[in-house]
Amino acid sequence: MKNKKKEHYWYLLPSLLTLVAIVIFPTIFLWYMGFTNYDLTMGWEQHKLIGIKNFQYLAFEDKDFWHSMKISLWFMVFTVVIEFVLGLAIALLFNRRIRGKRLWMSFLIIPMVITPTIISLIWKLMLNTEYGVLNYILSLFSIAKINWLGYENALWSVMMVDIWEWTPFVALILYAGLQSLPQEPYEAVVVDGASPLQIFYYLTLPLLKPMIFIAILLRSIDSLKIFDIVYGLTQGGPGNATELMSMHIYRLGFRHTNWIGRASANAMVLLVIITILTNILLRIMRRGTREEF
Amino acid sequence: MSPLMNYTRRRKVKNIILDLLIALVVIICVFPFVWMFMTSIKTRVQTIDPSIWFFQPTLENYRAIFQKRDMFMYINNSIIVVLFTTLVSVALGTFAAYGLARFQFNRKEDIAYWVLSLRMLPPMAVVIPFFLLGRFIGLLDTHLLLIIVYLSFNIPFTIWMMRGFIEDIPRELEEAAWVDGCSRFQAIRRIIFPLIAPGVAATSIFCVIQSWNEFSLAFFLTSFNARTIPTTVTFFLSVLGVIWGEMAAVGIVATIPVLIFALIVQKYLVRGLTFGAIKS
Repeated sequence: MKNKKKEHYWYLLPSLLTLVAIVIFPTIFLWYMGFTNYDLTMGWEQHKLIGIKNFQYLAFEDKDFWHSMKISLWFMVFTVVIEFVLGLAIALLFNRRIRGKRLWMSFLIIPMVITPTIISLIWKLMLNTEYGVLNYILSLFSIAKINWLGYENALWSVMMVDIWEWTPFVALILYAGLQSLPQEPYEAVVVDGASPLQIFYYLTLPLLKPMIFIAILLRSIDSLKIFDIVYGLTQGGPGNATELMSMHIYRLGFRHTNWIGRASANAMVLLVIITILTNILLRIMRRGTREEF
Repeated sequence: MSPLMNYTRRRKVKNIILDLLIALVVIICVFPFVWMFMTSIKTRVQTIDPSIWFFQPTLENYRAIFQKRDMFMYINNSIIVVLFTTLVSVALGTFAAYGLARFQFNRKEDIAYWVLSLRMLPPMAVVIPFFLLGRFIGLLDTHLLLIIVYLSFNIPFTIWMMRGFIEDIPRELEEAAWVDGCSRFQAIRRIIFPLIAPGVAATSIFCVIQSWNEFSLAFFLTSFNARTIPTTVTFFLSVLGVIWGEMAAVGIVATIPVLIFALIVQKYLVRGLTFGAIKS
């Protein structure tokens, strides 16, 4: 059905124009800001273009930039791997006959729909060294108090909260995948006498591949962007222990220094990394799931 | 013992272990919420004593947040922002979704995936230009600015969700209506809309949940008048010695609506979480 009247424009244009106005235009503005010396304390007319100086600053002078880059990537890799492994385990756990399954699964939704900043503050209470409930429970097993949010452990604690929040997300996606697997190949391999482990490795995992890719990439992108949980739990501290990339941008641009130009340059770096990941995700979605519809 | 009995016995034990693991997963998922609820009905002294599990509940914290802390204003702000951004996104996005679902044209998929890529934008990249622009034109700390900024993730989300729902409806239904003399628009209103209504409802609820929970953008773009509920946690961070009971009471008030909404759309959850990429 080709339509020569371009009728589809009337349906698409309102949304597309809105998105161009509220996303493309500000993004161009961000790129411009990344090449200026603007900071919040100066008048707008005083700002001027300074070339790539902001990027030079980030690369050669700002040690915290490299630190935030490093721990952000580490944060992403670690949380995504753990969330995938645990999520797959939970999906398999639920992928059998259980009484009241729907009810049990509805509890899994709680971590990911609950307001992240609020629940991260509750975690902050639970992780308190002196009166946190986690250390209390550990003390029942005579385990010594852990300083969860101290310099050594803070990043691990933020990771733990992220894993708590998003493992159910991975589990639900993979569970949906498991439920939609075709039956025939399984009947065939059971006849051939394959062991459960072989079936899982050679059949289930390959069939789940599109879902696995989507879950992993969505999680990777979101964990690189993370701001709310970090803000609630540690605000980047102690010191720079949990200063992930978004937190560093916040510090540069708003908190102490007001260097909007440098913060914009850093935001551009984050944007480029996320755009690369997004393109990989979209390519896989395009190849894998969309065409089957 | 016969081998068969041995086998059923082992399977029973295995099932019990697996059930216990499920119970453990459920407890871990629910516990922080339960702890928040317990904290919200404790007195100030009790909140810093984790060994108290049974106590006389108090509603003092709830009274405090509504009387001393203007909770109504923040709830009101959240509702205004969430409502309008959802209405606009669903209205615009559903039409765009129809355009993508029912017409063939050049670079259609490129446009669709470009739209989806906007959903992935890091808030930090969005917030700096909006903060500056908002400052220049005096829109900082207004509902309007937040409503507009939230469109940037709600419209792409709606387009992708609704495209899936519309494509689920056979074209023949619409074509039959055209044969009967309906215009395309009439057919949408009379045939398509009643059929996608559950999808519209589900998509709206997802928009509501993600806008209600949004923190990063609201945190930078509001300061007092338009503050939404998630940003109120900053009050509890700045004060020396956190008032945990009141903080938890705010948390319960803020999260109960979200949980109810989430239960309503549970059926579409995976679809929503993956922007319609995986239907279950």
